[in-house]
This record gives sequence, C-alpha cells and structure tokens, in this order.
Amino acid sequence: MSSAHKYYVSVTQLNYVKEKKVVQIISRIDISDFELTLQERYDKNIKMTNIDEKPMVDDYVKKYLNQKIEIKINTKDVGFSYIGKEYDNDVVVCYLEIENIDKITTIEVSNTILFDKFPKQKNVIKTKINSKVNNLIFTKDDRNQYLNFK
Amino acid sequence: MKLLKYLCLSIAFISLNVVAQEQEPQSGHVNQNKFKQLYDEFSTPNMYRTGSGAPGPAYYQQQADYKMDIEIDDETAVLSGNETITYTNNSPDVLSYLWVQLDQNVRQKDSPSKDINSSRITPAMSASRFSSSYMSERFDGGFNVESVTATNGSDLPHMINQTMMRVELPQPMKTGDQFSFKIKWWYQVNNHVTDGGRSGYELFPDGNRNYVIAQFYPRMAVYNDVEGWQNSQFWGRDEFALPFGNFEVNITVPSDHLLDGTGRLMNRKDVFSSDMMKRYEKAKKSYDEPVIVSTQAEAEVREKGRSKKKNTWKLYAENVRDFGFATSRKYIWDMMAVKIGNKDVMAVSLYSKEGNPLWEQWSTKAVASTLKSYSRMTFDYPYHKAISVHARRQGMEYPMICWNYGRPDENGKYDDRTKYGMMSVIIHEVGHNFFPMIINSDERQWTWMDEGLNTFMQYVAEQDFGEWYPTALSASDDAYPSRRGPAKKITRYMGGNQDRIAPIMTKGLNTYQFGNNAYGKPATALNILRETVMGRELFDYAFKEYANRWMFKHPTPEDFFRTMEDASAFDLDWYWRGWFYSTDWVDVGLKEVKKYYVSSEPNQYAKNYAESRDLNLEDLNWVYLVEEGSEEFNEKLRKGTSADNSPSLKEYMMDNFTEEERKNIKQPKYFYDITFEKPGGLVMPIIVEFTYADGTSKTETYPAQIWRYNDNEVSKAIASEKEIVSIKVDPKLETADIDTSNNSWPKEVKENDFDKFKNKVKG
Repeated sequence: MSSAHKYYVSVTQLNYVKEKKVVQIISRIDISDFELTLQERYDKNIKMTNIDEKPMVDDYVKKYLNQKIEIKINTKDVGFSYIGKEYDNDVVVCYLEIENIDKITTIEVSNTILFDKFPKQKNVIKTKINSKVNNLIFTKDDRNQYLNFK
Repeated sequence: MKLLKYLCLSIAFISLNVVAQEQEPQSGHVNQNKFKQLYDEFSTPNMYRTGSGAPGPAYYQQQADYKMDIEIDDETAVLSGNETITYTNNSPDVLSYLWVQLDQNVRQKDSPSKDINSSRITPAMSASRFSSSYMSERFDGGFNVESVTATNGSDLPHMINQTMMRVELPQPMKTGDQFSFKIKWWYQVNNHVTDGGRSGYELFPDGNRNYVIAQFYPRMAVYNDVEGWQNSQFWGRDEFALPFGNFEVNITVPSDHLLDGTGRLMNRKDVFSSDMMKRYEKAKKSYDEPVIVSTQAEAEVREKGRSKKKNTWKLYAENVRDFGFATSRKYIWDMMAVKIGNKDVMAVSLYSKEGNPLWEQWSTKAVASTLKSYSRMTFDYPYHKAISVHARRQGMEYPMICWNYGRPDENGKYDDRTKYGMMSVIIHEVGHNFFPMIINSDERQWTWMDEGLNTFMQYVAEQDFGEWYPTALSASDDAYPSRRGPAKKITRYMGGNQDRIAPIMTKGLNTYQFGNNAYGKPATALNILRETVMGRELFDYAFKEYANRWMFKHPTPEDFFRTMEDASAFDLDWYWRGWFYSTDWVDVGLKEVKKYYVSSEPNQYAKNYAESRDLNLEDLNWVYLVEEGSEEFNEKLRKGTSADNSPSLKEYMMDNFTEEERKNIKQPKYFYDITFEKPGGLVMPIIVEFTYADGTSKTETYPAQIWRYNDNEVSKAIASEKEIVSIKVDPKLETADIDTSNNSWPKEVKENDFDKFKNKVKG
C-alpha cells in the first residue's frame, strides 16, 4: 500500500530570535493535501510544481496562511510577512516572519491549516521562545494555544 | 590555634555525617542496559520457529484453494460471485470452526469501522462538508452473503461479526483433513475516488469505468502457531493476513472490456484479437522496450461502445495468497520480457489514455527494473508476470498485480512530483510481490514487516532504476531522488514530539504518523544497518537468508530479527531494541576536546600522585602530558618531537630500540582527550572525521558497544603525528543524528534554515 494521504500532520517551527527582534516561522505542509485544499477553496487550476509554477499559487498560499494562522503576541494581534515557500519532496515548506518584537511575555496561536478540507488534520507547532521549548497541538476541536513567559 | 583547627575539623566531620544521613538510601535495579539481550521481548523458540529464526521442524501452514465464478455488471457496478473454498488443516490442532474474512463489510452502511474515529460538532464548516457529514446517506457496500453451504448443498451455520464470518464445521477438522464449502455473494462496487478504499472503480466523464478489484471475495483467515486464528477485524487501514493456495477464477465482464489479474490467462485465444495475439508473441521476445499489445487507438474505439455481450476471462494461479484483477474498456496494454535467473518474466502495464505519455514511457520499465533489483536481494521472482495498473490515487498491491497513481494533467504535462511519484509507487507496489505476497508476514498485526522491509527495498530498487535508466531522471538529479531511506530524511520525525510517536513494534492500526512509523523509520533503520552498522556484505547475506527461509511462509518479527543475527554473527539485539522497540532517537555529539603535549616537567597530577604514595618522581621515569592553555603549559612544548621534550622517553627509546627502529618509529606529537556525549537514547557507532593541519582527513568508526558501560558519555585518547584542526561526528549524516549542532569541534556557527532561505529569496 502506498502511504500517501495516510497521515495528516503539519509541523511548524516557531522561533523567537531576540537579537534580531524577529519571530521566524517555518511551516511544513503535505503538498497534495495543501494543493487539494487550495484548489477546492480558490481555483481548481492551482498546481503546486517546481516547473513553471503560476505566480497566483504564491498569492493563494499567502492568502490562505493569513486566514488560517493567527498570532497574538503580548495580547496584540501581529501580522506576519510571507517570505516564500519551497518544495521538499512531498512537503511545502513555508517561511513566515514577524518583525519588531522586542520581547515576548505571552503568545497566543491559532493554526487551522487544512481543517477546512481534512477533518482529521493535526497541526503541530514547536516553539522556541526565550530558550524554552514547547509543543503546541492543534486539532479541529482545539484551535487555540497559549503560552505565558511571565 | 590548635584547638580551633580541631574544632573546624570536627565541624566538617559532623556536617559530612549529616549530609550522609540525608542521602537517599540506594535501591537495586533490573537490567536496563541498552545491550541487554531481547529474551524478555522475544517469544521462546519452539518446534515451529527456532532460535535461529528459521522455520522449525514442526512448522506448518494452512492451505486455502479457491474456485470462483465472478461477474461484473457494468451498468449497475454490481459484482456477484460464487466460490468453492477447499481448506486443508495442516496444523496439529483440531478445528471446530473456520474464520472467513468479509473485508467489504467495512463499507456496510452500519459498519462500526465508520465510527472508529472520534467526531465532534464543528461550529462552522463548508457547505459541502455539512452536506456530506449530515445530509447524505452512507454508501452501502458490504457483502450480501446469499448462502454458505456444504458441497452437498446443505446450509452451513455461520455467524457474521463485522468483517469476520465464523463458519461451523459439520465435523471437527483433524490434522490433514480437507473441507470444501461454497459461498454465494454480491456487493455494490464503490467508487474509490469519491468513497475511498483500495478496491473499486474510477468513473470517467463519458461513463466508462476503470475497475481495480480486490478483497472482492470471502477469504480465509490465517490460522497459525502464533495467533491461532488471525481474526482481528479489518478497520480499513491495516492490511491483510492470508494463507497460500491455488486459485481457479472465471471472470465475466462486457465483451468490450480488457482484463488482467493474478494468475495465468488460460483462454488467451478466446479473449485476445488475432492482432493482440501477434503483438503478445512479439512482446515475449522483447527485452528492452515494451510492445503495445492493445493500442490507444483501439482503446478509444472500445470506450465509445457499450457491448451487451459478455466475455469470460479464465485465470489460474498456484501458490498465491490472494487474487486481484482490473478491467475496463479504456485499457492500453503493453508488455516486455525480463530475464530473471534463467527464466523470462513478463513486465506488464494497463493504463487508460489519461495516463499517457508518462505510462507508456516508464511503467513497464519500472516493473522490469524492480523485479531485477528485488530478485538480486532476495530470490528469483517465482511468478510469470507482474502487472502495473494505472488507477487514480491508488497505490495498492496484490499477487502479480498492483494499482498505481501518477497522472499527467489534461494536456499530458507532468512535473517531477508526478513523475517520480508514479515511478516510486510502481517500484513500491511491484516490490510488494516479495514482501508480503511471498514472504507472507501478518500485515494486520505488523505493518512494518511488509511496508518497512518493502520501503527499504524500494530505496535500493529506486537507486538501481536511476542508474539503469538515467533518462528517467530529471536534468537536476544525478541519482534517483528517493523520499525514504537516507538517514537524514527521518531525523525530523524521530526528533519530533514524543506524544505523537509510537515504537515500530506497534500494531499498525494504532500507530501515529503511519507513513513515518511503518514505512520511513523501519526502511531507514535497515538502510543504516546495511550501509553503516553491518556493511553490505554481512547485511545482504543475512537479508537474503531471511527472504529464502520464509519464502512462501509466514514469518514473525522475531524470525527476521533472529535470522539477521544468525546469518551474520552480528549481535543486533541493541539495534532492534532501540530502533524497533523504542521511540528513542540518535543524538551523539562532542562534549569536550582537550589537547596535550609531552613535557619534561612533572605536572601537578604526577606530583600529587608521587606525594600521596611517598614516591620519588625522579625514580619513576614518567612521561608527562600537559594540557594546552593550562598553567603548566608553555609555548616551547609546541616545538620539537615528543622525545625532545621528554628525557624519560628519549632514554627509554635509546635503551629499547635500535637506531634504525628509532628512525622509523611513529612519534605522535599531538595528544587529544575527546569526550563524546549522547543526549539521544539510541546507541550507535561513533563515526568521527579528523581533519589535519595539512588538509588531509581520516575517518574512524568506534563500534556502538563503546556505550555499554556509560550511556551518556565516553572518551577517546587520540595520539597523532599531525595536528588535528577539526573533528566532526557523523560527517556524512548517515546515523540519523537529529541535532548536528553539537557534532563539530571547533563549533561551527551555521546560518539557520530560515535565514538561509530568506537570503536566497532576497538574493
């Protein structure tokens, strides 16, 4: 049996780099699942590919991530900039960045990537903030996670 | 003053006493050494299965032979069948009932398998999700068993529990007894694209269907010495356990359909056109390029018609554990011969025009290449053909036949992901002919035994394929870009959240991250074992021995583990324990490197030693080593040889070696005390690369057993004639070390992945 489409987990690494005052986010999402979701949601012609990919794909990825990942730092909503994405075998690797973060005392995250298409989807965010490591797990029924560094 | 000193001492003494009292009393412990043998985990060897991992003198297996008449009504997509099962009891046990598997019952409207996953109300959802969740009827695709009878026509009492049916025997079966019985059934075939499943049809816009049919008949469960009846329910994900037997199957489909399946086609002349016969004869002698037996033009004519007439395709297979077939009007059919040992095997592909141009270019060649690679590593492929059928979003294996995905877009264009995905899935599914179709492990219990071993072999076969068919590779690749196998590809998983990781030795249904658990990790573990721990020569011999011992038999995990050790004299209990029975990960690093020079001046260590034992250092003739940067170190020590800097050494050499010997003797000048740390739980060999000041380098491997006394850190003293400028642990990333930031001395400051990508896109 092929194992494609057998597990539904996205894994995101979220690091706070204090020296640079930035939060660096690398999100790894199954390419087939992501493509199907974007096709159904926005445009059936979306094709994630290394060869002659249409520029609209990046626009939709950006739009989708903006809709599905919400971050509050020190109780304020913070937007992230979409740096870009690359493909690593069956995985889309997305790079997001939040700038001008002087310190983090609390962070609240919601990650609902692919829940709209795959009800069994789980999203994991590993955080490294103020030298502390945490694992946040998001499911359809558990969409918000909160960390306090006070 | 004296009094005060005494007082201080006694206070010190008292406080020491207090400390001692506060210490936890020690307690004993059981053996938790990572190198402890697996006596507790392994079952006791017996007459059925020996301690060497081979089948024992009393090993037995049951046999199930089938005669079936099957018909597919293409208008209603209903499959109906009539079978006679002849079951042979080769066990020493008396059986009073038989268990028959009714896999399609997983698609029954009220099947509990549909309720195995938890669900909750979502406050908001898409309209289509809402409608499919709450408004539509569940598809009803379970078996409708019309009758279960003895050969004389009398009803046999039976009871259906979900996907398992217990059939009562009129008389208990003793050793050697045979019993034949008949089952008549039908079921509604599912659309596997919309309803899921590994068997079913794809519906094309013009109304044509492509049927890829399996688990379509009531199948005997396995009875053996390990499980008794393997009647663990089918929940949809974990696969199958099936006995071997012979199949005589007649399949009736519309006369404009083509069909192929498990076994020899016995009436080829009745169902092939004369053109097809001619091309088939040609294909049997074509070893390099596939010959098209049924063309795209012919398929396009066929798919416009809807014949009311029927054709019956007769297939016969010996010593197979299962039966599958594929049928459609849409098939293009190509074949070529491939030499396996001294025999010709046919590599075959069936695909609709939607699969082209990819399928006509690569499917059959991938089949042929896979048979060669696997045969080299195990045994000569014993069947006469292997078929790859193109089916949307499928990747599933049966004896001699498998379904594979990989479809170009409407304009026939495809990218690397589609191309390599298609080649990889074909190699994987064709490879399953060996694991588990012939080396017939229990998939229901141990997913890794077929998927893990097969994914390991898939890696080997993919690398061969890339080498044998370089034009299959894209310009940017110089080797086949295998997704699983290389050590560094598994580190993300193994270093992940422990809450979502299960040991490989877990029943397939219950594992998290199925793909990594049952495919990726065991495949990588075996690849590391082959390339890094045992070496190819020892590994390949033992792996082949396992394959041959258990060819056409039912092995367990222990049979594999034991055989690998039995045939190699390589104690691997520590490896199985760590990689297969635990979720530990590899992380080995450099904790500290100290550099020493030889000195003529006694160092503090020597002085203390001599003083405490009342010895005179001058009588000892010791060679002293001082650490670079310590108080005892001085720059002069960097100059001259070790003998120049140590009179004791010089005199010893004068007394014990001839001038000729002294000239040629190795004289290390640089001494290193290297401490390795192991934050990870897995023990692994330490691979260390030393780079010298003159630019050369040398790699040393310390066996895993170096960790047997201390599981956290070990040290090595290195004496070198050349100065070492850097040390790197696991320089080629072959051990699956999850954190390489502690692998270098001096520490390498690496740009992180994020900054690397950002700098790349910003240019």
